[in-house]
Amino acid sequence: MQSAVSKSIVIDPVTRIEGHGKITLQLDPNGRVEDAHFHVTQFRGFEKFCEGRPFYEMPALMARICGICPVSHLIASAKACDALLAVRIPPTAEKLRRIFGLAQVVQSHALSFFYLSSPDLLLGMDADPAKANLFGVLEKKPELARDGIHLRQFGQQIIERLGGKRIHPSWVVPGGVSEPLTELNRDAILAGIPEALAIAERTLDWFKSIMENFREEIGSFGNFPSLFLGIVKKNGGLTFYDGGIRIVNSAGEVVANGLDPSDYREYIGEKVESWSYLKSPYYEPSGYPQGIYRVGPLARLNVADRCGTPRADQELAEFHELQRTAVLSSFHYHHARLVEILYCVERLEQLLNDPEILSRQVRAVAGPNCLEGVGCCEAPRGTLFHHYKIDERGLIRWANLVIATGQNNLAMNRGILQVAKHFVRGERLTPGMLNRMEALIRTYDPCLSCSTHAFGEMPLVIQLLNASGQIVDEVRRPC
Amino acid sequence: MARVLVLGYGNPLRSDDGLGWRIAVELFRANASPDVLVLPCHQLTPDLSETASLAETVIFVDCSRKGEPGEIHCEEVRSQSGPASFTHDLSPAALLDLAAELFGVCPKAWLFTICGEWFVPGENFSPLVNSRIPELKAMIRRHIEDALTSSVTPRPRTLVS
Repeated sequence: MQSAVSKSIVIDPVTRIEGHGKITLQLDPNGRVEDAHFHVTQFRGFEKFCEGRPFYEMPALMARICGICPVSHLIASAKACDALLAVRIPPTAEKLRRIFGLAQVVQSHALSFFYLSSPDLLLGMDADPAKANLFGVLEKKPELARDGIHLRQFGQQIIERLGGKRIHPSWVVPGGVSEPLTELNRDAILAGIPEALAIAERTLDWFKSIMENFREEIGSFGNFPSLFLGIVKKNGGLTFYDGGIRIVNSAGEVVANGLDPSDYREYIGEKVESWSYLKSPYYEPSGYPQGIYRVGPLARLNVADRCGTPRADQELAEFHELQRTAVLSSFHYHHARLVEILYCVERLEQLLNDPEILSRQVRAVAGPNCLEGVGCCEAPRGTLFHHYKIDERGLIRWANLVIATGQNNLAMNRGILQVAKHFVRGERLTPGMLNRMEALIRTYDPCLSCSTHAFGEMPLVIQLLNASGQIVDEVRRPC
Repeated sequence: MARVLVLGYGNPLRSDDGLGWRIAVELFRANASPDVLVLPCHQLTPDLSETASLAETVIFVDCSRKGEPGEIHCEEVRSQSGPASFTHDLSPAALLDLAAELFGVCPKAWLFTICGEWFVPGENFSPLVNSRIPELKAMIRRHIEDALTSSVTPRPRTLVS
C-alpha cells in the first residue's frame, strides 16, 4: 500500500510522439521520485479482428495499423504470407521490397528527427514549448527545416512511385509485388539521390557538432545496461529486410547469433502489465524483467559489424567509437537514425542501379501450402514480427504481432525512471523537466498506434473512486 | 510543373470528414490537364509545402464544422506568420506560411468547404452533404478554369536564408 503522504505526478498526454500515452511518477514522502511508468492508453486490437479473414488480405489489412510505417507492416505481413504459400519470391520482387522498405525508413526517420526531435536539439530542452516545433526550427535554422521536409518528401515520393500512394499502399502482396518498377520511376528516384545524400551528410555533421551540448542528457537518457536485438546479414552487415537475429549485451558481446526469426517464441517472451496496453517483450533465457532489450536504430548499429556502403561504414565506425562497449545511451538513437538514413540512401542507389531491377518477373503465385507462417523485417523503430495461423481454407485462425515499440517498452520505462530521478526535484514539474521526460520517450520514436495489440487476455483493473479519490471498489481480470 | 494544385483532405473512413479526399479522388480521375495537379490526402503535412510553393494557385477542399450542415463556403487563404502548435498536420494558412518561409513563394489560395453533419466511422456521406457535392465540384472546376485563364503571379516572399 502506498504511504499516506506519497504523491504522484501525471504527465498526460506525452506530446510529439505517434499515439497516446501518459507518464506517472510516484514520489516518496520526501518528494523524491520512487517509481515511474509510461502508460499507453490506446488500444487497437488488430490481432483479434483479423481472425476469419482470408490470409491474402492480411498485408493490406495490416498496413492500416499505422500511417507512418505501413510499409513495414506490409513487408512483414507479406513475408508471413510467403511462408504460408511456401514460395521463394522472384529476386527482383525481393529487391523492390527492399527499396520500398528503405524509402520508408528514410521518411520515418526524417519525421522523427527533423519534425519531432530537432526542436529539442536546436532550441534546447528548456525552450518555450510554444516554439518547440518545426516553426521554431524554421525561425532559428531554416535550412534544417527545409532539409527535413525535403528528405521526408524524398522517401514519401519513392513510396508513392512504387506503391501508387504515400499512405497505406498495397503494392506488396503475398508472393512478391503487384507491379514491376518502370524505367521512368527508377530514373526519377535516382535523380533525387545526390540531394538526399547531401542532406544526410550535413545533418550528421550538424548533429555531431552539437552533441557536446547534451552531455547531461547523454548521461541520463536511458543510459543503462541492456541487451540489444536486431537482424543482421550472414556477414554481420546491417539489413532491414531479412537475416538472422543477433543479440548483443551491454559489453558489446554477442549473446546469440543467427537465430531464426520464425522461432521467435523460443527466445522472446511477452509479458503483459496491468498499467499499459503495450506488451513488454523480453529475452526469455534471461527471464523477466532481466531480459530487457532494446531494438531500433541504436540496437541495429550495436549489433551490426558493418553497413556495406562506403559513407555509412565510415559513420558506423565513428559511432562505435562513442563507447568501447555497446553504445548504451538512448540519446544516441538520434545519431544512429541519421547514420541509417545515410545507409538507406546509399543502398537505394545500389539497388536501383541493379541490372535486374526493371525485370517484369515480380510475383510468385501459389495457394496456401503451410498452415503457419512468420514474417520478420526491421521497421524504422525496430524488429517487427507477424505470425499467422490459417485453416485449410486459408482463413486466419490466429495472429500475433510483436512490434518494435513494444520491445522497447521495458527500456522506455527504465529510461523514464532514470530521467525523472536525475531531473525532477520537488512536487512541481517545470517545463524543462517535463520536456526531458518526453524527449527521452521521443528518442525511441515510439509508435503507439502500431504497438497496442492483445496477446491472450488483456489484464484489466477497474477502480471505482469516490469524490475524495478513495477506492471503493475494484475489479481485476488477471492475465 | 502544374500551375494549379488541388489538395482535398480528410478521413474517408469518417463519413462527411472524407469529402475533401473523395472530391480530390474524383477530380484526379477526371483531370487530363498537365497544368492541374490534384492530390487527395488525409491531412496537410509539411512536405506538401514544397509542392504548394511550385503552384500559382492552390485550392484546398475540406469538410467544415462551422455553420449549418450543407453550407458551402469559399474563402481566400492567406499565409499567417506566427506560432503554430505543429504535431503532424497543418492548417491551409500554416502550409502557405511554410511554403513562403522555406521556398520563398506564397501562391494564391482558396479553401472550399461544405459544413458536415456526420463524423462517425463510416464511408457514406450524410444525405445533406451528399446532395451538395455536385455543386461544390462545379464551383471548384470553374475556379480552376479561372485560375488557368488568368495570369496569376504568386506573391513573392523574401526567402529565409
